[in-house]
Amino acid sequence: MTLAHSRKRLSAIGLCITLSTGPARTALAQGVPTAPTASPAVAALPRLPDGHPDLQGLWLKSAGGFQGLFIGSLDGTNFAAGGGARGPAPPRYEYTPEAEAEWRDRQRRNYEDPEARCHLPGVPRALDQPAGLYPVQIIQDEKSVALLHEAMHDVRIIPTDDSPHPRKYWAWDGDSRGRWEGDTLVVDVANFNGRTWLDMQGNFVDENEHVLERFTLVDRDTILYEATVTDPTVFVKPVEMRFTLKRVPAEQQILEYSCLEGERSLQHYTEEDGGKKQRVR
Amino acid sequence: MSKSRVSRLAVCVLLVGAVAGTESFVGAQESATAFSPSRLWDGKTPDFRGIWRAQGTAYVNVEGHKGERGIAASTSIVVDPPDGKIPYKPEALAKRDENYRARATADPSLKCYQAGVPRATYLATPLQILQSPGNFAIVYEENHAFRVFHPNTRPHFDAADWWMGDTRYHWDGDTLVADVAALTDQLWFDRAGNFHSTAVHIVERYRMTGADTIEYEARIDDAEVYSKPWTLRMELRRVKDRGARIIEDECLEDENGVRHHVSPYDRKNLLKSDYSRWKTAAPE
Repeated sequence: MTLAHSRKRLSAIGLCITLSTGPARTALAQGVPTAPTASPAVAALPRLPDGHPDLQGLWLKSAGGFQGLFIGSLDGTNFAAGGGARGPAPPRYEYTPEAEAEWRDRQRRNYEDPEARCHLPGVPRALDQPAGLYPVQIIQDEKSVALLHEAMHDVRIIPTDDSPHPRKYWAWDGDSRGRWEGDTLVVDVANFNGRTWLDMQGNFVDENEHVLERFTLVDRDTILYEATVTDPTVFVKPVEMRFTLKRVPAEQQILEYSCLEGERSLQHYTEEDGGKKQRVR
Repeated sequence: MSKSRVSRLAVCVLLVGAVAGTESFVGAQESATAFSPSRLWDGKTPDFRGIWRAQGTAYVNVEGHKGERGIAASTSIVVDPPDGKIPYKPEALAKRDENYRARATADPSLKCYQAGVPRATYLATPLQILQSPGNFAIVYEENHAFRVFHPNTRPHFDAADWWMGDTRYHWDGDTLVADVAALTDQLWFDRAGNFHSTAVHIVERYRMTGADTIEYEARIDDAEVYSKPWTLRMELRRVKDRGARIIEDECLEDENGVRHHVSPYDRKNLLKSDYSRWKTAAPE
């Protein structure tokens, strides 16, 4: 990544932060890496009357980006970079040979990332947004856990009755069914339509994607999020993701995310980027 | 050559506009024989949870319309003024009529945009109220729009104009009263071109009139467009179908870049490839 490149991204991201964080939220401060807390005081966890941990609140991914994104400072630090002391290791994608070729091709035409067209990000990308940028509001009762994501105003209302997936239903976000295993919310996600990418670097899944997510409240201000992505037609081994969500201070709020309504991106693609033919008329 | 990636800009909209008024309208009626809703687990908050759908076809025209093309006729849901007409100023009425003539292409909802307030409430598609003590949110099926209702203990965040507004609520007895401001002027109330400006200020009242009915009322004030505030009122009914859920509603571009709603049950069109070249045979 060239410095000029970084600066260009920086200005774009800076604008996003300004617009998406509201009067008080300091997004980058939320991006400061925090290791998952090791020894939770389980007894002190907030709980609903049904005894399950209370996941409610406004949460923000605390560290780690997704590949291809720069969230940085003028000295070139990329807070969105995975690995090292800055955050969780980036996931490893082990593709089948055909899928590997497809991934390399998508890297070349990453302007086709569906999220750049304001489409729903899918799972786990809904949670795996760049650290510190877009929070998720969780509202929970005895029957469901609802995830209201600022990014793409993506919504998942997850029943926690371990009910079966529907038949003949194919969605960007798939179909989510949850159950409690001890203090962990386990969500099985299937019924994908295969259109989503996992990040901005062409990593992808198809309609055979299956995700197992685990949400664990490790202390009252930290959720450990783990996702295992399997897709037998794309990956030879499951893709594992693991990062933390930190509670956003109560004086801050989720904001609206208008994407389609104010699309200003595709017009900036140039012929050199290969994007001219993709420009929306 | 660096590839300039500015796609993140796509997510950012800033429509700076006038700051909406903040004075609060306090609705009048609270029937003596009011229905007493069940309560959340705190024992006091009225329980509005569930999937609800508006009755009628006011989404075509809030002032009422004749039946056409398989859509039933509707009387006006404007209850104040009593004539059922929005009290437009003359120049605003001219603009509404112009919108009406251009409605086949100019309605913002044709572009799969979020519907705004109150329009999202009386669409043909359902909504789901999510609630817990201290939390209230509405998820609208159409275009997966949602609103998180914030308590009115803090003022509106109206530094920008939003498609779904900024909502502050309080309880007036068992009625949820929501004050909505900071709406963009790009929104229509219906398919007939009825509209407001960025100065619009809306007070919504949600009141359960039975276990399966909510009376919805919106008082709409916009001194730039109307000669006086006006009120619409309609009923939401609980969707009681077994296993009913809000389904995903996302639009897809066709070859001309025009977006269309494609149902998650419509496998043929979902798997039709517009830019993804990856083909697999999915199990049925």
